[in-house]
Amino acid sequence: MKHIILSIIILTTAAATAVSCKQSQNKNSEVKTQDSTAVSETKTLPLQDSATSVEQVIAPAQKTETPKAPDQSQSFSIEPIVKSYLALKNALVADNDQRASNAGKQLLTVLKNIDIKSIPSEKQKEYKEIADNAKENAEHIGDNAGKIEHQREHLASLSKDVSDLITLFGSSQKLYQDHCPMFNDGKGAVWISETKAIKNPYYGNQMLSCGSVKKEF
Amino acid sequence: MKQILKRILVFVLFAFVAIQLYQPALNVDKGKAVTKDFTKFYKMPDEVKTVFRNSCYDCHSNNTDYAWYDYIQPARILVEKHIKDAKDDLNFSEWETYSNRKQERLLNSIKEQIVNRQMPLSSYTLMHRKAKLSDDEIKTITNWLKEQSKVYE
Repeated sequence: MKHIILSIIILTTAAATAVSCKQSQNKNSEVKTQDSTAVSETKTLPLQDSATSVEQVIAPAQKTETPKAPDQSQSFSIEPIVKSYLALKNALVADNDQRASNAGKQLLTVLKNIDIKSIPSEKQKEYKEIADNAKENAEHIGDNAGKIEHQREHLASLSKDVSDLITLFGSSQKLYQDHCPMFNDGKGAVWISETKAIKNPYYGNQMLSCGSVKKEF
Repeated sequence: MKQILKRILVFVLFAFVAIQLYQPALNVDKGKAVTKDFTKFYKMPDEVKTVFRNSCYDCHSNNTDYAWYDYIQPARILVEKHIKDAKDDLNFSEWETYSNRKQERLLNSIKEQIVNRQMPLSSYTLMHRKAKLSDDEIKTITNWLKEQSKVYE
C-alpha cells in the first residue's frame, strides 16, 4: 500500500513539473494555433462564397464590378444589399420561411463580401456599426427556417439597418419606407419596399394591407 | 491478477490527477471592470438585477460564479468553451461599448429568448437551480425589458 501511495506522489509531481514546463511553451503554441484557425477561417470564406454564388446570379456581377472601378467612392454600392433585403422581405410577405432563410443567408454573404476599404473613410465607422448589426440579423433569419416569428423579429431590426444605409448612401432605385404600427407589442416597426402599395411583411397574409408609407427615398 | 488490477487503478487515478493540472484562466474580472456593465447602465429594480445576475451572468459576463465541480476536469474545458461562445453573442459586462442599434436588438432578443424559455438553458438550470426562472420572474423581466426598448426610437 505504501508503495502505491508513494508511486502516485512521485508520478504526480513528475507530471506537475512536466505540465508547468510545457505551459510556458504552450502559450506560444496557443497563439500559433489561434493564428492558424484564423487563417483557416478566412480560407473557408471564399469556399462559402462559391457555394452560394452558384445559387445567386447577382453576386458575381457585383464582384466583378468592384475591382474594376478605379474611383473608390464609386465602387461601393448598397444595391446588392437592398436587393437581397427586398427578396427577404418579399419572402416574409408571402409567409415563406424557407425562402426567407435562403435570402437571409444570401444577404449575409453579400455583407461579408463588402470590402470596408471601398467605402468613403468618413462613412466607414457608421457603416461598420450598421453592417455588424445587419449581419447578426441576416444570420438569425438564415438559421431559423421554421420559426417565422423569430425571423420577423429580426426583420424589424434589419429593416432599420437597411433604412439607415439608404439614408447614409442613397439609392438609385425608388424605395419607400413603410410603417407597421402594431408590430412588437405596439411599438411599431418599419420596412423598406420597392412598391408604393402596402404589403406588410410582419404579419403576412393575416394583415397584408396594414401599414402606411412613411418616407420616400 | 490482483497486482495488475492495482496497477490499472493506479494508472487511472494518475491520469485523473494529471488532467487536473490543466486549468485555463478563469472567467473572473476581479473587480477590474473598465466599462459600465448592464446592471449599472440601466436603472433597474433590485429584483430585476438579481435575476440577471443569477440567471445570465455566469455565461454572459466577465464574471462567472463557478460551482465546485466546474474546477474539475474535464468539466472545466467544456465550461470555458461554453462561456466564450456565450460572450461572443452577448456580454453584459461590455454593454456600454455596444452601439445603440446592437443594444436595441439584444434587448429584443433577450426578451424573446426568456419568454420562449430558451434561456437560461435547461442544461444549465438543471445543475444551477437558483438560475431557473419562475413565471413571475419571467413576467417581471419581460415587462422591464419592454420598458427599456422604448428608449430606442
